[in-house]
Amino acid sequence: MKRSIFTILFLIIFSALISPLHAAPTSLRILYVNDFHGYAEPYKAKGDGPLQGGIAYLAARVNQLRREKPTLLLAAGDMIRGNTWANLFQGFSVIELMNAMKFDAMVVGNHEFDYGPKVLKEIIARARFPVLGANVAGLPALKPYVIKSVAGVRVGIIGLVTPETPELANPKDVQGLKFASPEATARKYLHQLRNQAEVIIILSHLGYPEDRALAEKVPGIDVIVGGHTHTKLDKPARVNDTIIVQAWEYGKVLGVLDLTRKAGKISLAKGYLEAIQPEPGQDDPAVSRIVAKYQQKMDGVLQQVVGETDVDLDADHARSRETNFGDLVTDIIRQKTGAEVALINGGTLRRSLVKGVIRQQDLYSALPFDNYLVVLKLTGGQIKEALEHGVSGVAEKAGRFPQVSGLTFTYNPAAPVGSRVKEVIIGGQPLKPEQEYTLATNDFLAAGGDKYTVFVELLKGDAAPQAQVKMGKGGKVMYSQPGKQLREVVADFLQAQGKVAPALEGRIKEVR
Amino acid sequence: MNQRPVDLMAGMTVRHALMAAGLLEEVEQGRRVHDEWGNEVGLEGALSPGLQLWVK
Repeated sequence: MKRSIFTILFLIIFSALISPLHAAPTSLRILYVNDFHGYAEPYKAKGDGPLQGGIAYLAARVNQLRREKPTLLLAAGDMIRGNTWANLFQGFSVIELMNAMKFDAMVVGNHEFDYGPKVLKEIIARARFPVLGANVAGLPALKPYVIKSVAGVRVGIIGLVTPETPELANPKDVQGLKFASPEATARKYLHQLRNQAEVIIILSHLGYPEDRALAEKVPGIDVIVGGHTHTKLDKPARVNDTIIVQAWEYGKVLGVLDLTRKAGKISLAKGYLEAIQPEPGQDDPAVSRIVAKYQQKMDGVLQQVVGETDVDLDADHARSRETNFGDLVTDIIRQKTGAEVALINGGTLRRSLVKGVIRQQDLYSALPFDNYLVVLKLTGGQIKEALEHGVSGVAEKAGRFPQVSGLTFTYNPAAPVGSRVKEVIIGGQPLKPEQEYTLATNDFLAAGGDKYTVFVELLKGDAAPQAQVKMGKGGKVMYSQPGKQLREVVADFLQAQGKVAPALEGRIKEVR
Repeated sequence: MNQRPVDLMAGMTVRHALMAAGLLEEVEQGRRVHDEWGNEVGLEGALSPGLQLWVK
């Protein structure tokens, strides 16, 4: 009897000791980046201080931190598109880097769709890590989740991308794909992973406000590693029991989140962003070699001929009169978008091109801004207002001077500002102030750049909680393609056309 | 943007919001943009309806 009691007591104590409540704490580390956008080289924006980032320096720091404890390295989307270093190679340069750095998983961001479905499939095939997208249907190569074992802990990683992706990408690049609700998708896979994973991470390209909302609504998420809003979350945020992190942009920082797991749940979470600075000798040599290899290749790609011009293309006078370069670019915009009229600011054109071959690098210097195309629906009166604003700074050769296609107009530079534009002809007919026309421009002007307030005013008046105006469907925005730059549209046209020889056509005339 | 509503298209970013509010030059001279929780955001960061941003 005594012996039985002893045995029972022993079993109770033993089982208590081996239960999760008394298990030794487990430490694991999550390293993360988001919105890298192909910024392989150290980066400095206008208004920034010293150079920041540089993927080879970030990789070296990843190596050091990995040696300290069991680690996952995650990417929260928008990795392969943005900077020329990535764009000229359709993102394959970035995937080579990520393979070398041994990423554990990545979620697709909206910009991963910008090169089209064929390239995206090839990108996923080349990646030696799972590329996730649980709420994307129609692309089987994207996995909904992956389970990783880290220090004996099974970590389930579910990927979610913004359901607005179809509005942000070229429609043909997302044709046949469906983007489901992140909340419903998270619930579905949390349920599936309940008995398979001990820690649940949502790898999110939804944006910080949406990550917070997800954490509010869906219990059971341990960590959200986010992206899309380029948010610099210096310390992890906490919403209910969910930890949310995001690491700014362009690899300027590396996110570090250390988790301690005890008694079956996360007992401690410490996180920070580590600034990445290009210190000599502090790089990962293997990653540096990849950066340098593509840098060299870039020089070759930039030398590629995209077309030829039989005449000089004039950008020097684009701030004061019609130019053949302005005519060419606005004609290309109008053809691409199908709008009745195209208008850009002369300041878009930064360099004239001499007669002869046109290389990629010529386009980069002539059209250096990463503008994209937008088509708006305007009345004739609003178009005239835009033209009035465009010519209002002609005396000082302001960049807002318009270059146009699909319309001609006369103006008197000596007349008072606001009443200089005289005759406007669209499609061979005098402009009708009340009639609506479609006008293509660039995103810079559409957002009110160069003080073209007429375009911004156009977007007002929609219901306040839905301030972002939807395309078509009775709205004023007919076309918007953030994933394709104007420079690329011009390059495509020149490659298809072979040779151009634009001549002045009298689209803009001064009268007295 | 600094408590002033700006209307933009889907796909536009913090940079566009700054342009629409006439604040881009200030940021290019070194001022920073923060979200309503006090976190700095990058100029190419995505927007969402009703988001509040501040230039400090």
